[in-house]
Amino acid sequence: MGYLRKAMLTVASEVAWRLPGWPARFVTSFADSERASGIDMLAAAEHTERGDLRRKYFLHALDESKHAALFLSRAMALGGNKERARAALDDSGTLQRHGTVEGRSMFERLGEMEFLAFVWVAEADAVEQFGVYLERQLPDPETHATLQAILKDEHFHVSYSRQELDRFRKQGQVAEVEWSLFRVRRDRWLGAWLRFSREFGVIVSGLWLGLAYAAMLGPFRGLAALEPGGWRPPLPRPACSLATARSQA
Amino acid sequence: MASHVLGISALFHDSAAVLLRDGVVVAAAQEERFSRVKHDAALPVQAARWCLAQGGISPADLDCLVFYEKPLRKFERILATATATFPRSWQSFPRAMHAWLGDKLWTHRALARLFSVRPDRILFSEHHLSHAASAFLCSPHATAAVLVADGVGEWATTSLWRGRADPPFLEPVAEVRFPHSLGLFYSAITAYLGFAVNEGEYKVMGMAGWGKPRFREQMAQLLRLEADGAFSVDLDYFCWHWHATESFTARLPAMLGPPRVPGSPFDPASDPESQRFADVAASAQAALEDAMLHLAGHAHRALGERALCLAGGVALNAVANHRLAAEGPFEHLWIQPASGDAGAALGAALWAWHAVLGNPRLPEIRAWCLGRRFAPAAVEAQLLELGARFERLDDPVARAAADLASGKVIGWFEGRGEWGPRALGNRSILADPRGAQTRDRVNLRVKLREQFRPFAPAVTEAAAAHWFDIPAPAEAPARAMLVAPPVRAERREEIAATTHVDGTARVQVVNPADSPTFHRLVEAFGGCTGTPVLLNTSFNLKGDPIASTPIDAMAAFYRSGLDLLYMEGCRVERPR
Repeated sequence: MGYLRKAMLTVASEVAWRLPGWPARFVTSFADSERASGIDMLAAAEHTERGDLRRKYFLHALDESKHAALFLSRAMALGGNKERARAALDDSGTLQRHGTVEGRSMFERLGEMEFLAFVWVAEADAVEQFGVYLERQLPDPETHATLQAILKDEHFHVSYSRQELDRFRKQGQVAEVEWSLFRVRRDRWLGAWLRFSREFGVIVSGLWLGLAYAAMLGPFRGLAALEPGGWRPPLPRPACSLATARSQA
Repeated sequence: MASHVLGISALFHDSAAVLLRDGVVVAAAQEERFSRVKHDAALPVQAARWCLAQGGISPADLDCLVFYEKPLRKFERILATATATFPRSWQSFPRAMHAWLGDKLWTHRALARLFSVRPDRILFSEHHLSHAASAFLCSPHATAAVLVADGVGEWATTSLWRGRADPPFLEPVAEVRFPHSLGLFYSAITAYLGFAVNEGEYKVMGMAGWGKPRFREQMAQLLRLEADGAFSVDLDYFCWHWHATESFTARLPAMLGPPRVPGSPFDPASDPESQRFADVAASAQAALEDAMLHLAGHAHRALGERALCLAGGVALNAVANHRLAAEGPFEHLWIQPASGDAGAALGAALWAWHAVLGNPRLPEIRAWCLGRRFAPAAVEAQLLELGARFERLDDPVARAAADLASGKVIGWFEGRGEWGPRALGNRSILADPRGAQTRDRVNLRVKLREQFRPFAPAVTEAAAAHWFDIPAPAEAPARAMLVAPPVRAERREEIAATTHVDGTARVQVVNPADSPTFHRLVEAFGGCTGTPVLLNTSFNLKGDPIASTPIDAMAAFYRSGLDLLYMEGCRVERPR
């Protein structure tokens, strides 16, 4: 690990793990990541044309599911994962972003080599990250034990993905492997930047939308009322035809 | 030339795609069975792609693609409600606008792009019309009353329709509008009881069996039955219409006591708090059942029909359905197995085919395994690649029956996947129902879920009346595990693992014509044990969708405490 990256990670984790409520949030987010990773690995096991890799992806997926369960259990113990799905109606949070984007799994989008490069980079980062937490004895002995148990599996993931990349290199595809690794690292940084920008954008647009809410809806509050209970006559509908069926309103 | 219609439901929860060829369902699947994200709400690109492949067509061959609701009308409801609840909706408004301005308002464009369909071939049904069509237009009834109850669509939360023999087939009669909603009431109680909304409603139904409805009076205040035959909700106790992340106000805990902490232990035998939560669940369940009976009574008086078709998420409440069948005024009850939002994709397609394109009614749909199938040779090849320990059998049914009779808990993966949330014997976990310990074993060791949850029995049609007291109107829904009748008192001990604490069971009556292989298995188990009943639960672990592919099945098998997996004629053992 680069000295700078390790220093940044150490400082950030020293601060973040000690904030009230944050360990539970962190561990919940780890559980989410492991779960999503398990889904990606199963999709890879489904789509790869190489029988030997199918088994490795499959075993990797099983590990990720196990890790998700371990983290989830720890998150619950830390008081996390209790804020979820309490809204009976959520008109906003249903557009999920997971490994499948517009009907294509991560494996389908990246292809075998770049997917393996992604696995290697992501797992190596996780090993380094967990290593820092363990080194700094963060955040508590129980979470520490969970991280240690998971770290063993992560070493296997790093090892098999590196071996597979080496196999590509030995087949003369050195430049392709390096290009894949570059693209993966670039996309991870870009992804992190986009996530940060998105969060920032949500805050800024939330402020604007809050203003719009006050300025555009507030004045009409007196004219609006909730529907009463009981039967109501059906809303008027035009006769059924292709033209009316094309309307979204 | 054949005519093709693709129905789509998405962007709320449980997205799905359905392909009709000349009005007949060629393929139907939920996106979650492809993406492995339970209740996946994303536009069902993979499910639709698979449907088209099943039909052997490309998007250009589609006569139309039908989306299951009107996005702009829904947007209008959100704006109107935010205005009416100003300033309390200050948090939910920006949240909703992010999603709508960013994505949902542009549904038409997204449909055209992702599904490669010409924009003029995209049609929009209405949410409750899609639900109503999903029940009535594949039922055996020429005319019927159609009742839809769910959370909310555009404006309607409950709607009554007259199902007619001639176009446009469905005539709206009346509706209850947002924010008064049976589905949202039940979801709010689900949240109060510490379960995730849109996921934990079944748990509330299961928990209700452990309680007594001692909060019935309070529930009657929360959910009032109106003299006009409908209902209203006391909105002082609930906040789903203005709060971004909560369902109920502080007044609900003030009335019923503190809410349950998610994940806390549930032991009504020794813990009074657990018993209180069970009693709340029982009371809410009773209130929902009373409301459904009240609505059905009105539907019968208003329309004078003999048959009732039921749709919407509330129609998945098997206990309420049983009361409708046993105590309601209708002679026939018909419910489509995927009566939640996934099923609305089917309704949207059927509505377009019949009402928009002007085609006549077709026979009832009886076989509901409309999902993916995998060739035995391909399954075997994958098992070899995964290094599984397995053998191919000439007669897997006989061997599986013997394994089940010897107490093994097995995964059963045969034929096409089921349509809807229930495993009907093609993607199932099966066990011997004799002995209550099997229930605890399957709950804790196999499915890794809460101990209080009941399991369903599957019984051969010939033996059903011997074991269960199924009222005549419930015969059709009992084929798809949609009613929970009482187990006959003298039989309860014999099938203790599938008899809930209140003496009921969400039975599946297996018909030899509809499910030949599974019927043979239940019958063979009966031959081995004298009990033609199997414990049948969906082939998934807690939080996962039902296994759809051999890889999914193997992952669920290895992660669970299943003894064996039967998959397309192969008997797979656990790794050493």
